[in-house]
Amino acid sequence: MAMREQRVADTFVELADTLVAGFDTVEFLHTLTERCVELLDADTAGLLLADERGSLRLVAASTGQTQLLELFQLQEEEGPCLECYHSGQVVTLPDVSEVAGRWPRFSAMATELGFAGVHAIPMQLRTQVIGTLNLFRTHPNGLDETDARLGKALVDVATIGLLSERAVRHQEMVTEQLQTALNSRVTIEQAKGVLAERYSVTPDQAFTAMRRHARSRNQRLAEVAGEIIAGTLDVTDAVADARDRDRDHSRS
Amino acid sequence: MGERTARVFSWVAAAAADDGEGDGRISPAALCRAARTRLDVDGVSMTAMTGHGMHTPVAASGELAAELEELQVTLGEGPGLAAFTFGSPMLVPDLAASAARWPGFAAAARERDVAAVFAFPLHTGTIQLGVFELHRVATGPLATGDLANALVFADLALQLLLDSSSGVGRQPDRHPIDDTSRGRDAVHQATGMIAVQLEVGMAEALARLRAHAFTGDTPLSEVAADVVARRLRFRPEAEPDETPG
Repeated sequence: MAMREQRVADTFVELADTLVAGFDTVEFLHTLTERCVELLDADTAGLLLADERGSLRLVAASTGQTQLLELFQLQEEEGPCLECYHSGQVVTLPDVSEVAGRWPRFSAMATELGFAGVHAIPMQLRTQVIGTLNLFRTHPNGLDETDARLGKALVDVATIGLLSERAVRHQEMVTEQLQTALNSRVTIEQAKGVLAERYSVTPDQAFTAMRRHARSRNQRLAEVAGEIIAGTLDVTDAVADARDRDRDHSRS
Repeated sequence: MGERTARVFSWVAAAAADDGEGDGRISPAALCRAARTRLDVDGVSMTAMTGHGMHTPVAASGELAAELEELQVTLGEGPGLAAFTFGSPMLVPDLAASAARWPGFAAAARERDVAAVFAFPLHTGTIQLGVFELHRVATGPLATGDLANALVFADLALQLLLDSSSGVGRQPDRHPIDDTSRGRDAVHQATGMIAVQLEVGMAEALARLRAHAFTGDTPLSEVAADVVARRLRFRPEAEPDETPG
């Protein structure tokens, strides 16, 4: 099997494997965005989840730029990712400058951040859209047909893995799970703040440190965040590591 | 403010204005009354809780709602307690079908003709202040719109509990309800930073952040962004400093 095909197969297995003890929804959604960037012809990705109050929240973003653009859309209430959520359809935007008439603020902001193409895929279970996975490209033109299909398949498998086993019978369980995931996300943000202040690092560096620690100990991200807030976990080494890597990165 | 937040808030404000005895300020009691009227439920309650098992009734739309809360504390089981413990809403559209999970509470609720209970934790991250609970005589899930509104009611209930600790809500003419969907990540990050700056818990840090925003009449998201960008620091026993640059 070719390397890419092997990688694709592994990813499907990884995304379907949600019924494990200690399953971490937030980490799972981060993994989904990362795999999409690795396997598809996209530069970055972001993931929005519906909060059931009628708005979307950012749950994962592979870069700070992506985070900004996603948050910008939520704030301005315009852009392809929101359109994807409301319509439940894939939205492909080969060139953001061409939608200046329709979404002027989004178009300007995307251009300023260096993005050209957007491909938004709905996370849909039956008739309910629970969020969107959004792929961004720094060069114009959309995903090719193969990548677009693969992206849709990855998102579908992840959505089903996330919800169906637990929730296929009960809407109640979908709500319980989504709200828990969103609250975990809040805990992680609070812990980022704690580390940012304590070690004078950026929230992004704090997140990298928490994630690395969670992975190396096989712990849930929200659990690590909770321990940082409770003051029962020392992540000095992981923070120093994240800061050094960032420094090396900006030098190279 | 988001459309739904604005609508729910206007309901609570109207319920507060209708209260002959109150001073027109929004309060937990007004919030419970508004939820009771606007949602397809028969009773609403708000309870403050701590992780150490302390429960304080805050408000209820009627005696039965208050009693259902009491019962859970006495029995040591029920959807409200579970919602608080697990930090996840407990939506129980048919208590009889979930009797195995809460045998004592299900039986006691049946005696009182209560068939459905919907409990929402008043949590934001590691801040855990209590539970907001709805009950209904008829079985059946909350309609989609009711569920969305109930989540917003719970958001407002959390903010009322939080602000009562910092005295923000006591100011007349002030309805310190923000739409938490704006600049949300920055608010939570700022909370973590302020907790370290003041050496206090997350709940107090968030209460102080909100108090600073509301007394300065600045949007919460802006104050939070200033904290995250390190333009604003909180110092113990003093007003926050503006840091140049």
